[in-house]
Amino acid sequence: MIRVNDVHKSYTKDTETIKGVSFEIGKGTIFGLLGPNGAGKTTLMQIIATLMKPTSGTVEIGGMSPEKDLLKIHRLIGFLTTEIKLDPVSTPNDLFDFFADLYDIPKEEIKQRKEKAFERFGITPFAKRRISELSTGMKQKISIAISLLHEPPIIIFDEPTNGLDILTSRQVTDYLKELRSEGRCILLSTHIFSVAEELCDEVAILVDGKIVAQGTVDELIKLSGEKNFEDAFFKIYVENHKEEK
Amino acid sequence: MEKTYAIFRWELKKIFSNWHKTVTLFLLPAVLMMLALNIFPLLINYMSTGSFSKKPIILVGAPKTFHDYVSENADANVYSYTDISYKELSEIFSEEGKLKSLLKGGTVICYFGSDNGDADFDKMISEYYQELVKGNSQAQSHAVIYLGLDGNSLTGQLRAEQFKQGVLNSYKSSLIDRLGGDYANIGSNLFSTDSFNPVTKLMDNRSPADRAAARIVPGMLLIMMYYCVYSLASDMFASEKERGFWAKLIMTPVSSVQIFAGKILAILVIVSGATYLTALLLFFSSWLNTSNDAMSLLPFGMMLTPSELLIVIVTIPFTVFVMTAVCISTIFSLKKMQDITVNLQLPLVFFLGDFFCQMFRGTRPMTLEYFIPMHNSLALMSESYMAQEKLWHVFAVLIVNTLVALIALRVTYKKEGLYDKSK
Repeated sequence: MIRVNDVHKSYTKDTETIKGVSFEIGKGTIFGLLGPNGAGKTTLMQIIATLMKPTSGTVEIGGMSPEKDLLKIHRLIGFLTTEIKLDPVSTPNDLFDFFADLYDIPKEEIKQRKEKAFERFGITPFAKRRISELSTGMKQKISIAISLLHEPPIIIFDEPTNGLDILTSRQVTDYLKELRSEGRCILLSTHIFSVAEELCDEVAILVDGKIVAQGTVDELIKLSGEKNFEDAFFKIYVENHKEEK
Repeated sequence: MEKTYAIFRWELKKIFSNWHKTVTLFLLPAVLMMLALNIFPLLINYMSTGSFSKKPIILVGAPKTFHDYVSENADANVYSYTDISYKELSEIFSEEGKLKSLLKGGTVICYFGSDNGDADFDKMISEYYQELVKGNSQAQSHAVIYLGLDGNSLTGQLRAEQFKQGVLNSYKSSLIDRLGGDYANIGSNLFSTDSFNPVTKLMDNRSPADRAAARIVPGMLLIMMYYCVYSLASDMFASEKERGFWAKLIMTPVSSVQIFAGKILAILVIVSGATYLTALLLFFSSWLNTSNDAMSLLPFGMMLTPSELLIVIVTIPFTVFVMTAVCISTIFSLKKMQDITVNLQLPLVFFLGDFFCQMFRGTRPMTLEYFIPMHNSLALMSESYMAQEKLWHVFAVLIVNTLVALIALRVTYKKEGLYDKSK
């Protein structure tokens, strides 16, 4: 469903943030992008989510190119990030209705989908409260409910559990597993090993804008010769990271 | 169009569901400007005289005709008067330093008398008209009015000038009716005035008020417009970009052109509405300003003809459009919120400078000024208040502002490096 082919991205002439990344993700798969801060995870996620054009290389979503079928692609993608902060004066109700309107969801269906999503995440009691009055966890759950209201087959999730407490984090990971079982294609970026170990069917380690290792968690541990995934990651990272002079 | 309207509705709802924002955008600028209008004369009073209060006009030997005139004339009635006799005036003169301190505070002394020693002012005027009736065309009036003031007191000078222009000149004309009735009957109607006709009254007041308004109102409206555009653009674009909400919008199956259009339309409607409200309040402020203070920034009776009003109404949304485009261009060309905020505030300095230049300039706008975006709106509105506007000025302003706005938006859109959703 997602095909990334030799993608490069440069913000300036001298430096390249993404250096020829390629991978594919199929249906019912959770693919994790793992890397330290500054490795280029967010840039790559934004390129795949069509928020940014690559300098070279191609991205295909559901067999379509963003150059030709951008609006169709946007109906296929649900993009979530903990960096997104919802409008503080709006209510979850208003936000859901607004985005549902933009996705052309019929009015009678909006109500059903809203009730289902709000019930699933326990948002219902807070539906008419302002976002500014809600907790971080609740805001994140509202953000998920809104991002997935059009029931997209492809979900791109940047740092899904970043800044969340254990309970909310658990709810999010359970939900992602549920979405996988429904056959959705999920791409997530994280720097939390436990999340990657628990959720991802396949992991790619991104160091300095390049994928230096790719496979299942077990394959990467085996490849590095270490005992656990965290040690495996550090070994792979040290072997591939070049200090900037 | 449907999606543009959905985004437009959403932005309006965000503003109107938050009363803080509504008040800040709609009432605060208007109230602040009204306060500034009213505080400025007080401040000038204080700076020039050391006192906030208005000093009375001291009348020395004021004749009955003058008191009659004041009681019948609203323009003359706005001053407070103190009557003293010639004897009391000479006592003031004899007391050392008293006259100086009196005038220093902005007081004006109005002395009624004659230049041949006979102090009965009304009698001198009456005698003059009688001579005219007798056919003596060389007759000279010996009646005089002296105005005493402190040459170093700005308020005193202005009040004296305003009193002379607004009261004494009209009083002089009214003397024909009061004392020279015979002459008027024999002679001609040259001196008759239609003082009870409300239209004449309106037009008499209109010119000075509109001249003052041409200096003050367009500049104030421009500052107010930019303040509102800046606040809204910061909220709708800069803050949303920083919060990541912009990315969420871009990720919907709505073209970025529609997203931009919906938001720009919301800014246009809100800011134009707020500006019309402010203009209306300034209009009422003028009509309520019966104090006729010498330093009043917006004197009584501001009045626009329908065509002038139409020009002001049309100019406002086009000015808001170009301001919005400039703000969007700034927001999308910078990354850090701090840089965006500073750069968005810079044009405010330009508009403040433009306001003060307009306030004190003694010349009419040059042709070139109609081709400077945003400033051209100030030039056009000023000319409209002065009833000096020309049709090509209107077209120049509308076309230049629209073109500059569209170019700025196009360049910003291209620079963003987004996929072209129109394909």
